[in-house]
Amino acid sequence: MIETFKTRPALLRWTLLLATLVVWEAITRFASFNPIIVAPPSAVFQQAFLIALGDSTIPQFYANSAITIGEVVASYLITVVLGILIGLAFASSKLVCDAFEPLLLVLYAIPKIILYPLLILTLGIGVLPNIAFGVLLGVFVVIFNTSAGLRQIEPNYVRLAHSLGYGRRAIFFKVVIPAAAPTIVAGLRLGFGYTVIGVITAELLVVSVGLGSLIDYATVNYQTAQLYALVLITLAIGVAGNSLFSALERRWVK
Amino acid sequence: MRREHQLSLLIRAATIVLLLVLWELAVRLGWIDKLFLAGPIEAALRLGPVASKVAPDIIATLVEFGSAFCIGVALAVTLGFAINQSPYVTAVFKPLLVLGVTVPKVTLLPLFLLWFGIDKTPIIVFGALSGFFPMVVNVMAASNEVKPNQLLLARAMGYGRLDILRKVTFPAMLPVLSSGMFYACNAAMMGVFIVELGIARQGLGVVVHGYAVTFRTPDLYAAVFLTASITVAINMALWYLARYFGRWRR
Repeated sequence: MIETFKTRPALLRWTLLLATLVVWEAITRFASFNPIIVAPPSAVFQQAFLIALGDSTIPQFYANSAITIGEVVASYLITVVLGILIGLAFASSKLVCDAFEPLLLVLYAIPKIILYPLLILTLGIGVLPNIAFGVLLGVFVVIFNTSAGLRQIEPNYVRLAHSLGYGRRAIFFKVVIPAAAPTIVAGLRLGFGYTVIGVITAELLVVSVGLGSLIDYATVNYQTAQLYALVLITLAIGVAGNSLFSALERRWVK
Repeated sequence: MRREHQLSLLIRAATIVLLLVLWELAVRLGWIDKLFLAGPIEAALRLGPVASKVAPDIIATLVEFGSAFCIGVALAVTLGFAINQSPYVTAVFKPLLVLGVTVPKVTLLPLFLLWFGIDKTPIIVFGALSGFFPMVVNVMAASNEVKPNQLLLARAMGYGRLDILRKVTFPAMLPVLSSGMFYACNAAMMGVFIVELGIARQGLGVVVHGYAVTFRTPDLYAAVFLTASITVAINMALWYLARYFGRWRR
């Protein structure tokens, strides 16, 4: 029994998580906790199930989820295109890099959340500021990793390819890109995480549509079990996206 | 070399000036409504009055951020070092802690309102939580920087446990630890401002939120600029600290 635990850390991890849930359930059941503040896990899972069936007090779950997922996808596409283009520009010219990298670092050092009210004022309330905020959070790591990945390539690789008669384009696609891929893909994965965080944060701060609006709805109506369930569902969507990326990363980057 | 450096400075300055001019023009020529966008000149003029008015809020935010950052980092370092002692314990907890970085913790914000109310507590707790995860992951990564051969050598030379920790382990970990502090600082600030913008009653985030919802746009831009300057100064200090501690590696 102990041997199995010793060889498989994941087993202990899941056991601990399960134990936490059991203790949580016991405390909420037997100690007199205010049910508005803490909901028991059984009620949370039941609500999550009901919400997924479309049979709960939370209105239009699927329509709002679709909006949130759409925002994330749009935001991430912009992040990827913009990030890789700027990263390429930085890596391709020392002058561009010297001129703009300090500016980018300063922008990066600003907690982007403080710019969110400005986004609301210029873009209005709705999906646009949410998408823009996701880009703002996600794009930096993509830029930095793309340009770092491209710049840290062993110069001898390029020289070798050159002396073997490769053209500029062939060198770029056959040598530079594969050599930089691990760093770039890591940037893309981190960027995805930040984009999701950005979109959800934006939705929760100024409530209009999407999962954020549902979480707010559950909060102001004191539907605590539903609130926990929605938080759980949102976290699950984020985790699902992340594991998708980890799987892709393992496949592409060896 | 010197000329290239000057050229890059020139390009940077020209870009900033061009952006400022475009921004001013956008307001002057009415491309964007004055209600929603304040010109740089107008905003700059409001900088002084706003700065003197929000001084208490600046202090409140700095105190909250300072406590959140210190608590988050202290917890992360303690827990990280404890976990590092055993590869097995690392294997059990590392995936959970890595997950903690990427998960949108902001969804917990409404729960924080229920648990901690709207005073200083939710700000500090959420800021500490935001800073904790990037730091703890970096503490775990930092232990990989300690090479077993160096430990072996130090022991062979007769170093005691404490000496090894002080002279070998800690200096090896320092670069990753300090860059972890940089990320933790950024995340903790983000956490503090999210709560301030969302539910708090005092602090820079509250000021910015107040100006935004009352459409006092020039004041808003001045306050955002003020906040950005303070945070950039703190972040840059940590950034250079991280580079300073990492210099032996290059």
